[in-house]
Amino acid sequence: MDRFSKFDLGGFLARQGILVAFALFLVGFTIANERFLAPDNVMGVIRSSAILGVMALGVTFVVISGNLDLSVGSMMSFSTIVVLDLHDKIGPTLAIPSMYAMVLCLGAFIGFLVGYLKLNSLIVTLGMLSAIHGLTLTYSGGKNMDIADKEGTWFSFFGQSDVLGIPVPILMFALLASLLGIILAKTPFGRKVYAVGGNGTAATFSGIRRARVVFTCYILSALCVATAGLLQASRSLGSQNTVGQGLELEVLAAVILGGASLLGGSGTIFKTVIGVLILGFIQNGLLLVGLQFYVQYVVTWIIIILAVWLDIAAKRGKLWSPIA
Amino acid sequence: MKTSFKSALVATTAFVGLTLSGAAMAETMKIGITQNNVGVDSYQTTYEKAFIAAADANDKVETVVLDAGGDVARQIAQMEDLIQQEVDAIIIWPTNGEAVIPAVRKAHKAGIPVIVTNSNIAEQGFEFVKSFSGPDNITQGRRSAEIMCDKFKAMGTENEAKVVHITGQPGYTTAIERAKGFDDRLPEVCPNVTQIDKQPGDWNREKSQKVMEAFLVKYDDIDGVYSGDDNMGVGALNAAKAAGREGIIFVGATNFAVGYEAMGRGEYWGSIYQSPVDDAEAALKTAIDVLSGKDIPFLNYFDTPKITQDNMAEFDKPVF
Repeated sequence: MDRFSKFDLGGFLARQGILVAFALFLVGFTIANERFLAPDNVMGVIRSSAILGVMALGVTFVVISGNLDLSVGSMMSFSTIVVLDLHDKIGPTLAIPSMYAMVLCLGAFIGFLVGYLKLNSLIVTLGMLSAIHGLTLTYSGGKNMDIADKEGTWFSFFGQSDVLGIPVPILMFALLASLLGIILAKTPFGRKVYAVGGNGTAATFSGIRRARVVFTCYILSALCVATAGLLQASRSLGSQNTVGQGLELEVLAAVILGGASLLGGSGTIFKTVIGVLILGFIQNGLLLVGLQFYVQYVVTWIIIILAVWLDIAAKRGKLWSPIA
Repeated sequence: MKTSFKSALVATTAFVGLTLSGAAMAETMKIGITQNNVGVDSYQTTYEKAFIAAADANDKVETVVLDAGGDVARQIAQMEDLIQQEVDAIIIWPTNGEAVIPAVRKAHKAGIPVIVTNSNIAEQGFEFVKSFSGPDNITQGRRSAEIMCDKFKAMGTENEAKVVHITGQPGYTTAIERAKGFDDRLPEVCPNVTQIDKQPGDWNREKSQKVMEAFLVKYDDIDGVYSGDDNMGVGALNAAKAAGREGIIFVGATNFAVGYEAMGRGEYWGSIYQSPVDDAEAALKTAIDVLSGKDIPFLNYFDTPKITQDNMAEFDKPVF
């Protein structure tokens, strides 16, 4: 009898661990503040999570391929500064593709170092975190960037408008998530990403060009970062050099929360999206509950650990196990 | 690039200093400065430019301009370099109010007067410091409270207004002092105004916008927002505009160009005008005064006046 009930819980968790955690948080915060699930608030949280979310989509590819990308925060700051600066110099129509080109070059450079030269991705991207920050500061001379004519530009479309009643950042996030989700789950390339991350040597012997797969993952990551930068810049029509600082860890937390393994080989886009939403709703929920900020740091950590625990328990099939 | 250029400059200056020592240079004051983190924001960038310009304009002054890049260890090393070079005075913009004290003490023991600029060091280091030159952040917070209260009185809402408060980075002296000044002064001038919530915006416009969005969801009635600087204030303003909430009085501190523009559009009420140029010039002047043997107060504040939509025409638009 005892075994039966354990199996039941375990089986349920095993299928939906992270979703159960997500539902628990939503219920908890709703009890604490009835406004939490008000449509305005939910829409607001998803919209502001969208920027983090877009970055997390790309990082999911990188993590599944068995690597890390800690440079995304600085790269996002870089993209906002570049696109805002060029906006006033050459107009938005040219500024946006120029910014994408520059960010993709950075992504290609990292992809080359990690993929073809096989350097450790932690070292490479940690280095790029500060190198790109330096690049941004050199470019901007330390100044905040602001668009001169904030009312008269269509550039605000990406961050501030609605299409069919849905904010554009959410649409872009959903669109990219679907596209990348299909690429990861349904295409040969997607399967190669899992193969390279699961067992790189075996993948190489199976005829997969490992370097090219890793390189492509970093290109996808840079593409996502550039899009996130576009949304961010358009949302406030101004930016500071440190706008993306610390985001690399939040992005990584969201991806790990979604259940991707840091060792590579597992994870899905859908779960990353859930991870992003959990982080977004936690931040917002804690603000609404009105805890002191220093309590918030601790509570955020506890909630993340709780979510990861539930997810691991789900994989094991029980909440507690004497063996790993 | 910048740092290596500066180290080269230091090396050259040191060399020139050595070769010329004892010669006709006796009349020149050699002042070294180690700054916090030039390039991290426009304020510090403008400060450095203004400092160099002010020093160049004075032929009696020779300067060694260094930047710690926000790194405490590097700043301590720079202090030691300056002591080795036997400069006449050292100006320090502390990266950390506690950690730099031993280095300040060392300079003091070597007989080099130390002037702290912009943000003060911790109190236990005061005995090793000749003078502090910078803004008075507590007064700034108090003045922001007065600006807000005066506006409520003008609107006739001083008996029911509700205010939310977005602070700077937790643990940062400027953030703590401004918040304290505001929190203390508001109930003195407007006893019936209530402060309903306070959260940090980390000096970050985007973070502040998120905080304000949550405030707007949580409270139906917000009449005023005080932010620790205009950069965050504009973030909060963006959130209110996006939510279609009107009639909120925004008051900030450290008037930024974006804040100044928002005031010009009538969306942002007021702030505190703090010029990095004044800040830099005050620091240099304090150092020169110390070396000329003038009697100067320990806390040498430069004035940071109130700026609102009413009097903004008297001020130039901030460069940052």
